Amino acid sequence: MLAVEVRDLAKTFRSGWFPRRLTRALRGGNLSIPRGVIFGLLGPNGAGKTTLLSILATLLLPDAGEAKVLGHDVVREARAIRPRLNMASGNSSFIWSLRAPEILAFYGRLYGLHGKALARKVDELVALCELEEHRKVPYQELSTGLKQRLALAKSLVNDPELLFLDEPTLGLDPDISVRMRAQIAGLRRERGTTILLTTHYMREAEELCDEIAFIKNGEIPARGTADALKRQIRIGDVIALRLDPASGDGLAELPGVLRCVFQDGRVECTVDSAEKRLAQILSWLHEQGVVVRDVDVHEPDLEEVFVELAK
Amino acid sequence: MYAFAKRNVLMAARNVFFVFELAFWPTVGVLSIGLMTRFLDLGPEMTAFLLVGTMALSTVQVCQLDVSYALLFDVWSKSVKHQFLAPVEIRHMALGSWLVGIGRGLTVFGLQALLSWWAFDFDFFEPGVLALGAFLLGCFLTSAVVGLLVCALVLLFGTRAEVSAWATVNLVMVFCGIYYPVSILPEPVSTLAGAFPLTYVLDAFRSHYGFAPEFSHPLLMGFILSALYIGLAHWALAAAVTRCRRTGLLLKLSE
Repeated sequence: MLAVEVRDLAKTFRSGWFPRRLTRALRGGNLSIPRGVIFGLLGPNGAGKTTLLSILATLLLPDAGEAKVLGHDVVREARAIRPRLNMASGNSSFIWSLRAPEILAFYGRLYGLHGKALARKVDELVALCELEEHRKVPYQELSTGLKQRLALAKSLVNDPELLFLDEPTLGLDPDISVRMRAQIAGLRRERGTTILLTTHYMREAEELCDEIAFIKNGEIPARGTADALKRQIRIGDVIALRLDPASGDGLAELPGVLRCVFQDGRVECTVDSAEKRLAQILSWLHEQGVVVRDVDVHEPDLEEVFVELAK
Repeated sequence: MYAFAKRNVLMAARNVFFVFELAFWPTVGVLSIGLMTRFLDLGPEMTAFLLVGTMALSTVQVCQLDVSYALLFDVWSKSVKHQFLAPVEIRHMALGSWLVGIGRGLTVFGLQALLSWWAFDFDFFEPGVLALGAFLLGCFLTSAVVGLLVCALVLLFGTRAEVSAWATVNLVMVFCGIYYPVSILPEPVSTLAGAFPLTYVLDAFRSHYGFAPEFSHPLLMGFILSALYIGLAHWALAAAVTRCRRTGLLLKLSE
């Protein structure tokens, strides 16, 4: 059974009166996400990621198309969906003068928890998100990292079957991001939660996501595993060379070389196939009297795929 | 419902501006009006007329603010989306906050009643418990209507409409005859005053202090209108929620 099923989903935002401005955030995208996976949604700013997430979370009504979450239509059956999902975002905010346990208790009550069950859940989440030492600190005095951990804790208050995470590690220090990612991976592993995640960090997507969809201008032009996307985009392999002298003029003109970038005394050539072109490049450099000090061949990383897709 | 009530109580206990709402402004209100009656050398009846109006206004103001806070706290803290993501209905949100509003309204009323008895020899309990209960219930029902409308306005117009939480109650002051009988209002304003439930509630309560009622069955009319407006305001708020889910304002209020 699918956790999310989207067909021809469209959403246009209207703003201003004269002239009336229209922003087409989603243009008939299709998407299906199986249960129990961590699914990544990548795309440049304004691509429609948050719009899609918000529609699936029943916070936004679509103009056209159909979206089903956990088997229920997000428009007609929103009430049946809401108890089963939750959401956290990197820029979440809560009431300034409440403390972490009070915030968790408030949202716990909104999801029908009360009495001892609520107290147990609050304690469990405070411990899970390592907020024990900050129990008595008002929200406004928490650090960014703690605020984001609290947002994650709040999103688990109803043990959601489906969790939407909108840039959950935005603006966090690297060490806190690593811990946050470990927590997210643990949610799927230990609770079987389906997670739909948007991020700008390719490493995060590559590390966490079973599958990734790329969204651009409200459409989904590519989806698959990180490896499949790299193959699908066919942006070639990368041959990185350290040359002496550090000059590779003419390299970009060789057959099969798509582009060359010179940086810090190294040249990175993107080629259609490293297997075919490496010998040819080395041979040409030898003829030019250039000494090759170091060679490294690798597939493009997800960031390069992102850049290619975002063009 | 309890979630919203508990949250409003916590906020009331932690924020200094609630002290102003609960003690400072009501005290200033009742003392300044009471002293004005002394300066103008008004008799006990006229003093009663003005103090009843002053206390009704303060009670409605404080109680309606709590209903508005059900949404405004989330708007100010940019956490609106979390509330609407949860499986809660408008009635839970409004009722929980309204109950706290009733508690705060009763506190304001108690404070003002004590002050008017001590400073101006005005006995608020003279009409009896039933009449007083009906008067306060009328004030609290009006507060629910105003609070729900403020929430609807905020969801329709965004943060620009926040000011309505404090401004809307001034309409009550003009139309409901807080400081004067509505019969002195020019037409069609006088007729319009008849559309406000608080007009009837005040009319009914003042009749216990020797003022002839301007309307027949004022309490019944007040309660019927209140019930009707609460239904309409609830519908308006539900429509506003749907609209802001469609326009994306719900998300903008969380950014």
